[in-house]
Amino acid sequence: MDRSIQVIAMCLITNLGLIFFLYPADIIASLSTGHWSAVLLGFVIHIGMVSVYIKGLSKCAPKNVIDLFQSAGNVFAFLMLLPLAVYFVMMLIITVRAYAEIVTMVFLAQTPLWTIMLLFLALSTLVSLWGIESLFRTSMLIALLFFPFLIIVVILSFQNVDWHYMLPFVDRKTATFSYVFHRPFLQSLFAFVGGFLFLGFIPPYVPYQSRKIIMASLLLLPFFLISVYVPLLTFGENTASKFPFPFIMAVDTVDISWLMFDRITIFFMISLLCFVVLFLSLVMWMTLQLLKRSMHFFNAPIASVLLAATVFIVCLLVPSWSNVEQMIWWNTYLRLYAAFVIPLVTFALGVSRRRKEVIRP
Amino acid sequence: MNLPEFLKSRQEVDSDLFLHPMILAYQSVVLAGYRSLIDLPQTVTLLRQLTLNADAADKPLFDLKSGVGIPMNDPGEREVLNAIADGQMLIYSDISDRCMRLVPVSRTLSRSIESPTTENVVRGAISAFNEELDTNIGLIKQSMPTEKLQMQSYALGRDQRRRIVLLYVKGKIHERLLQSISQKIESLPEKDIPDLQALSDLLGFSKWTIITRYNTTEIPQEAASALAAGKVVLLLDRFPFALTLPILLSDMFVSQSDRNVPALLQLSLLVLRVLGVLLSILLPGLYVALVSVNPEVLRIEIALSIAGSRVDVPYPALVETLLLLLVLELTFESAVRLPKTIGPTITMVGGIILGQAVVQAKLVSNVLIIILAASTIANFAVIGVQNTMSIRIYKYLLLILSSMFGLLGLFVGIVVICAYLGHVNTFGIPYLSRWKAGRRYG
Amino acid sequence: MRKCRLLRMALFPLMFAATMALSGCWDIKDINHRSLPIVMGVKQTGQKYKVLLLIPEVSRSEMNIKIISESGITINAILDEINKSLESKLDLLHLKVIIFERPVAEMGLAQSIESFMRSRDIPNKTFAAISDGTLEPLFDKLGASSQGGGTQLYNFFEKNAGWSPEVVQTRIWEVYRSIDSYTRDVAIPSIKPGRTTTIESTGAAVIKNGRMVGSIDSEESLLYNLFKGIGTQGKIEVMDRATVKIVADRLTLSSTLREDQATINAQLNLKVTVLETVGDPSNVEIKQEIDEQLSSRFDTMLRAAQAKEADILGMGQFFRNKLSREELQHWRSKYYPSMKIKFKVHVIIQDEGQLKIR
Repeated sequence: MDRSIQVIAMCLITNLGLIFFLYPADIIASLSTGHWSAVLLGFVIHIGMVSVYIKGLSKCAPKNVIDLFQSAGNVFAFLMLLPLAVYFVMMLIITVRAYAEIVTMVFLAQTPLWTIMLLFLALSTLVSLWGIESLFRTSMLIALLFFPFLIIVVILSFQNVDWHYMLPFVDRKTATFSYVFHRPFLQSLFAFVGGFLFLGFIPPYVPYQSRKIIMASLLLLPFFLISVYVPLLTFGENTASKFPFPFIMAVDTVDISWLMFDRITIFFMISLLCFVVLFLSLVMWMTLQLLKRSMHFFNAPIASVLLAATVFIVCLLVPSWSNVEQMIWWNTYLRLYAAFVIPLVTFALGVSRRRKEVIRP
Repeated sequence: MNLPEFLKSRQEVDSDLFLHPMILAYQSVVLAGYRSLIDLPQTVTLLRQLTLNADAADKPLFDLKSGVGIPMNDPGEREVLNAIADGQMLIYSDISDRCMRLVPVSRTLSRSIESPTTENVVRGAISAFNEELDTNIGLIKQSMPTEKLQMQSYALGRDQRRRIVLLYVKGKIHERLLQSISQKIESLPEKDIPDLQALSDLLGFSKWTIITRYNTTEIPQEAASALAAGKVVLLLDRFPFALTLPILLSDMFVSQSDRNVPALLQLSLLVLRVLGVLLSILLPGLYVALVSVNPEVLRIEIALSIAGSRVDVPYPALVETLLLLLVLELTFESAVRLPKTIGPTITMVGGIILGQAVVQAKLVSNVLIIILAASTIANFAVIGVQNTMSIRIYKYLLLILSSMFGLLGLFVGIVVICAYLGHVNTFGIPYLSRWKAGRRYG
Repeated sequence: MRKCRLLRMALFPLMFAATMALSGCWDIKDINHRSLPIVMGVKQTGQKYKVLLLIPEVSRSEMNIKIISESGITINAILDEINKSLESKLDLLHLKVIIFERPVAEMGLAQSIESFMRSRDIPNKTFAAISDGTLEPLFDKLGASSQGGGTQLYNFFEKNAGWSPEVVQTRIWEVYRSIDSYTRDVAIPSIKPGRTTTIESTGAAVIKNGRMVGSIDSEESLLYNLFKGIGTQGKIEVMDRATVKIVADRLTLSSTLREDQATINAQLNLKVTVLETVGDPSNVEIKQEIDEQLSSRFDTMLRAAQAKEADILGMGQFFRNKLSREELQHWRSKYYPSMKIKFKVHVIIQDEGQLKIR
């Protein structure tokens, strides 16, 4: 049974949920011209890591990352995966807090923050408890329902574009890649890393073909480019860099007189938020998977409720948006670890296992 | 056991039991059975014919070879009662201790084959199942003349025996599904099955589910196409519906009779039904979300006209919507209960008088009336009555969520529903799977 | 098992009650308890701002208009004050037009535009306009003719309603963009109460870095719209010897930069139909007349704008590939005033109406 389509849908969903909010602001902040180079660089890293990761996994086909790491020794697995678990928990906290903040900033000004966080967490706990297979089926259905809509909004967002803002195409900073080790660019990797680690956790529950996944990842490139370039082309670099959520602002300028609704942004954002909810449940499921392996005495419902409660309490303790940004920055080291170390180690382990099997069949 | 004594004492508590003495093949015998189930004069005529034949062939009456009935040797109480409860007749002689049972001419207690009452067929066969199990099996066999159609028959229950027949098509059926169903049924042979909920309990489905795990249909054609698609059909005695397992989301949107129209029209029907479901679920929630939480989404002209129509309504949009929905649900429910002749009254009272008056009395806004009417009409675009009921439930979830979080709540509610649909499965076959005969897509 | 079931049964009513109680926790106001202003006017008196709001008042049968004004130190303080005194909640989410009084624009709009952009509720596609006279007569006029619930002014600018090609449409995000832009300024339409109609367009104000530096008239606004890419279809050009209607237009531009001398070649292709002729002009004469009229009009407009160093046509955009970012910063002061533009009009007379031209 090949569930590649579901996995592709999930891949698109998780990445799209992350792309359109924080990513454009980071990229616009990291460069003043030639933003395409930062987008492409990030994307190449993404594709590279995804293929390394998948390659490593396919070498030991039905196993998942945890099995693979455990086969190299329990202590090793624990030490390697502990930062990953911490990263996941951090990601849960940041995502829930940041997106709740975005919701109140953009369209639910009256609603208290904690109720929105509670909504996100309750929902994602529920969905993650229903199991990974149903999560993937859900993602498929959600994708079918929301994608046409999303594509329409993305196309409409070009309404106020002035292509001249694309120029100048390149300058020294772009050409020398000197922006790479600065904070905004490293922060922008947030959008890439979140969306692919799950590929290592789902076998053997949800089998997929690795080549199809990599091909589908290429589909994301236009979205990355659009998310950065639509605000740039609408407002120009000078103005776009002043917005915390440039893409949302750009979509807000779209005026459609034939629709019965006035603000299409809101629908766009909410469908992305639904994607984020699915992403949260996926991360939650992965975290629980890691927890279960290390501590056997947890049973699933209690552990997930505990996890959600912890995340909720930490979220409540974060007082302001600047703290959220600070947290995203602190998380960078773990993110780099998750983005580079985990795929490479997976690849190394996969290759060495394959070799062992070849030697003594 | 003394059979005559036992039956006499039984007759005192069960007046339906007749004991009819007569002379048969020069012996004095008594016929026993239920008056309500047996057509006695016809049976006696038949019996005389049979005994004449037996006599001519020189066979004794109480012998299997006489061809009259099946002899019972020293039957127990239970056996006797079961036989007569099944509608069979007993013949025993007063003097010698011989007894046998036979299948009599029974009274016609079922209706004839009619057109379906809960489903309508526009193009396609319109005969429907009725209460007679054997008729139903026959109907299916007729619409599916293949030797691959196989069936297993069960009689469940301790006090009441209820026959259940499980039909499937060899080669198309998913073996694991068949095994797990028959295992479940065989595991509790003593369980009474008075209703479908008991059956779904027997099959191990959760009591609190919103989606029933089987589809019901009244039309043999539908059942046959389900069989051909590799599903299992369950038929119950005295139940004029076939249950098909497993249920899939597509059952809500695609029916067998659609296949009688060209593909493009099929597709547009499908789209229409999907739209119907979406509208019916979304509209009330959308109204509440737009009116009370996110009015900025509406165009100014619509916003002003809705605001105008709500000007004197004293309560929040959620309460307004719930009130009117309650009236609508009551209308459905009473329309089901009412005799057909008074049915139109409800339409008039509920639809015209109440709808008009409620707006004029400024209890609800007239935009809401339009929205709920559209939502209600859309609700019944799906196939199958049980599906319309689950849709009615989802609506309330979305309503409450969107009264709290506006459009965000509405969409999050959709995610909850989608996740629930993704979670539901029947014997490991997901509700959301695409089904092809013999294999399974994720 | 029994306990578990009991717990579950208790859970449902509990959850229901909790949601009911929770939704009362934050104030959700139904649409009929919100005031939805459509037009906001901003004027300045001494150090203080004065804000006028045009709020439709709805009831089942009719729509009326309410005009509310208040003054204070900042716009937000005023809005807060108005909200306090209103019987329903002030909700600016549906604000369609913001009108600045001319002196406010001359003092500078940057501060207020920025606060509008920052605010969560004012949509950034609200139209901006400048009132030539004082605001009060304009609002009175709007209030007096209020069949549409006060949406006339909005419809005046809305493309699928009452908009006409010589009215400039500028939204506040465009104004905001121009404040920081190196290469693009903006024109804001100016209006006054009409004598017979509700509103009359009087051209547009030239805004440079958020400050009004000049004005252009209606005819020049047409050219502005042309360069902005908004169609001019339907515009009627009256000349000495003929009157024509523009049915299609296409503008192609190319730029060259030689030794800091910026040059633009503009070619305007127009398709027109003839509505009226005076005397007996030939096709060629009509074409020539259109060319002359538009070119001279364009030249005066450009020269005026160049003198103010306000690049309302966004010509700088065409030099983004020729100048570096640092040079673009000085576009307005260094390159733009000396920029030359070769404006050519190529006219096709699509048809001559129902009568032949000789």
